[in-house]
Amino acid sequence: MHEGTVTETAQYLTFTLAEEVFALDIGKVREVLDFTGVTRVPRTPEFMCGVINLRGNVVPVVDMRRKFGMSVTEKGVNTCIIIIEVTVDYETTVLGAMADSVQEVLDLEPDQIEPPPRIGTKLNIEFIRGMGKRDEGFVMILDVDKVFSADELVAYGADEGLKLL
Amino acid sequence: MMEHFRQTFREEADELLAELELSLLELEQNPAEEELIDRVFRAMHTLKGSSAMFGFDDIAAFSHEVETVLDLVRDGKTAVTRELIRLTLLARDQVKVMLAVTAGAFPAADSQAEAIVAAFRELIGAEATAASLPLDASRPEDSGTAMTYIISFRPDREIFKRGLNPAQLLNELRELGACRITVLTDGIPLLADLDPELCYLQWEIILTTTHGVDAIHDVFMFIGEESSVEIEASHQKEPAAEEMTGKGERSPAEPARNDGGQEAAGGRENQEPLGISSIRVASEKLDHLVNLVGEMVTAQARLSQTAMAHNDAGLIALAEEIERLTTGLRDTALNIRMLPIGGTFSRLRRLVHDLSHELGKEVELVTEGAETELDKTVIERLADPLVHLIRNSVDHGIESPQARLAAGKASRGTIRLTAAHAGDSVLLSLSDDGAGIDRELLRAKGVAKGLIMTGAELSDREILNLIFAPGFSTAVQVTNVSGRGVGMDVVKKGVDELRGAIGIVSNHGEGTTVTVRVPLTLAIIESLLVRIGSDCFVLPLSLVEECIELTRLDIARAHGRQLVNVRGTIIPYIPLRERFGISGEQPEIEQIVIAEVDGKRVGFVVDHVIGEHQTVIKSIGRMFREVQGISGATILGDGTVALILDVQQLVSAEEISERQKLASETMFMEKGDNICMKEQ
Amino acid sequence: MNRTILAVDDSASIRMMVSFTLKEKGYRVIEAQDGREGLAKLKEEQVDMVITDLNMPNLDGIGLIRGIRENPVSKFTPIIMLTTESQDTRKHEGRQAGASGWIVKPFRPEQLLAVVKKVLG
Repeated sequence: MHEGTVTETAQYLTFTLAEEVFALDIGKVREVLDFTGVTRVPRTPEFMCGVINLRGNVVPVVDMRRKFGMSVTEKGVNTCIIIIEVTVDYETTVLGAMADSVQEVLDLEPDQIEPPPRIGTKLNIEFIRGMGKRDEGFVMILDVDKVFSADELVAYGADEGLKLL
Repeated sequence: MMEHFRQTFREEADELLAELELSLLELEQNPAEEELIDRVFRAMHTLKGSSAMFGFDDIAAFSHEVETVLDLVRDGKTAVTRELIRLTLLARDQVKVMLAVTAGAFPAADSQAEAIVAAFRELIGAEATAASLPLDASRPEDSGTAMTYIISFRPDREIFKRGLNPAQLLNELRELGACRITVLTDGIPLLADLDPELCYLQWEIILTTTHGVDAIHDVFMFIGEESSVEIEASHQKEPAAEEMTGKGERSPAEPARNDGGQEAAGGRENQEPLGISSIRVASEKLDHLVNLVGEMVTAQARLSQTAMAHNDAGLIALAEEIERLTTGLRDTALNIRMLPIGGTFSRLRRLVHDLSHELGKEVELVTEGAETELDKTVIERLADPLVHLIRNSVDHGIESPQARLAAGKASRGTIRLTAAHAGDSVLLSLSDDGAGIDRELLRAKGVAKGLIMTGAELSDREILNLIFAPGFSTAVQVTNVSGRGVGMDVVKKGVDELRGAIGIVSNHGEGTTVTVRVPLTLAIIESLLVRIGSDCFVLPLSLVEECIELTRLDIARAHGRQLVNVRGTIIPYIPLRERFGISGEQPEIEQIVIAEVDGKRVGFVVDHVIGEHQTVIKSIGRMFREVQGISGATILGDGTVALILDVQQLVSAEEISERQKLASETMFMEKGDNICMKEQ
Repeated sequence: MNRTILAVDDSASIRMMVSFTLKEKGYRVIEAQDGREGLAKLKEEQVDMVITDLNMPNLDGIGLIRGIRENPVSKFTPIIMLTTESQDTRKHEGRQAGASGWIVKPFRPEQLLAVVKKVLG
């Protein structure tokens, strides 16, 4: 959590998943790409779209709607991939998060952010850093490090009887 | 500049210390080996000399003490004993600590150095000898008072043969002050008897100088006993005389180059010393080079593809040339990173030595294949896993001497560590003749930890593989050496990260052997590019034996079993399209890529075999670490991503899933028949 | 005219220092890391002077000195030994083998240059 002074304003990138608006700390965002071909990796959960070639590096792409258990819709013309930096266990990984559209960069003062409510979001509360107030509505500010940390994948094919590595 | 020398000195000292350690351990096993004694002495001697040169007086003084002892050993006055080796190893460690201090580490209490020196003195029964660093030999100061001296210089006839030139000495005298030189030629024989390599001349010099008689002695410092120099102070002040050069001063070593050598090192000095047979390169530079080579390989693939597409003969020929050069560059760049694994072996040798002392066991480490070369990064990352394996072996594998004798074994246990090339991999094996692994105990532990179900049928290999599960340790007594089950799962993880494989074989009572296979290089491999649907994959070419067609007829012939007859041999295959859940239409004729996995031949079914591909390995990240069958990715010429297949994992996963299916089917059947069920 | 000096020592840092010190003054320097390599270098070209350590693997300083003196081409080439104070016997041996002089380690760059100048002029 970001312990800022009263004067510190942070910037967030807002994006949509289905109709809802979410936000990410802009410091974590490297770039935004148009959705291009993603190579699917077999034996991975549905929310892993696959990998893409980002200037010579192979970067995984996550379908955030699937991750959050939201309904799945067709990819639209605005679908894009947000390339973010995630820090887990002192390791920094780069990955892409698929979004339906990207909106704007929002400045939010600390007093415009509320802690996440324990119920009502239908999301794992760990994933949400806070609720940002914008106009009449709100945006859910995601804690990317938490959202993508639990992604040690269980491979298909490893069964109940023999829970080896 | 001094800092540069110091850095070089430090690196050199590190190497010396590593060599010293190795030699000491070998010396312990072969105490009479003179070559080793010499090597040990030399290492300490060089350390002393170099450290003094660059201002590290404490290291110089300390190593001087040790060198003194080693000198006695060299002369046969002190014997090589275990205690001597132990002290010398401690001394080595102490120097290492002192070196670290020079590089900025915190200085520890000085008592270690003193204690070691005291122990040495006791060992050789010597009295304290003051460590004397050589005195400064510099030219005496100019006193200011002019004195006149008469110098008789009678050089030894053979003086030229020692590379000395009397004329040069005379020049030097001239620099001290006004000189009057007279040459005496009586010694010159007749021409017929004259040997041009001998010096028949002698000189008388009258020199007036303010520098004092020591300065004169300095000039003649090197001439030795065979020549003679007499210096007499004259109490008469002679007026400064014109110098007279001697006649017949020709000598084979050409004199009179008074202007010599002082030219500025301008553009002329562009010739590098021819001496160096190897150079140091910073790791980062090497990594950068390999990265660039990787990108080059990818770009070259695209070039070749584009050339083919354009169907231009000239362009194609050029693309082939570029391919040839790129391959050469790749091989050379990767080869630069190869180092022999012997360095790691030495480190382990010391570990075994220390551990066996600490645990009261007698263990010998035998190595083979120290010259086997691996990629530098692979060696670095193998170090920790090997240390863990050795620890386990000494701690849990090798029994105490008493236990071993009781079991009818020699009291000294042996750990055998070997390395050898195998195709594009390196096979390392670590085996001990210790207690081996009790499979029943292992199985019981596995059940207790909930890793396996009671009554589950497991092959020996699967039971032994339990040892790699996290948090697993059958050590009854957790010693502080191996820790709490921290060993094997971490080892496996380390090996996996290197895209390697680890296996274990053990016989209770006889010993354990762990084999590790790692790729020679982490960066680029030759592979076979295949396609299923619209997805591309690659397999390591070194494992591929052949590709054959698989028709619908072949499939039908097998009646649901995934087997095919290849020239008389039955080969199982894995239908990758099915396993990977790839959508789209299955072609009428598919291709089986037959590869060798763990000594067996297995086929992998794909739609098309595209061809050979130089695969620059890109990591796909920790998120995919657990995916069975995919070990990395690569970028194709057209920019799309192809996944690298891990054939070993594919086969293992297949084995497991088949066994599961069989087990559940059996259960189902028995239930249906109302037969009393085995406990599942 | 540039004079060439062959510097022989198994310690890379000492070689580096000797080389740097001499080159700065305009001498040309060739390096070798032991006596054997030293002799090999001498086969390739003549030098004006040799500076050598005594304690080296493969072929030590004494062996190198002998080898240099045995070769008619380098019979009269000045040879300076790098010694430490504990090596009086070796120093003597070196002189017997034909060395011209010596410098005691540790030495300062100026001392090295002084000796080189003394011998080469």
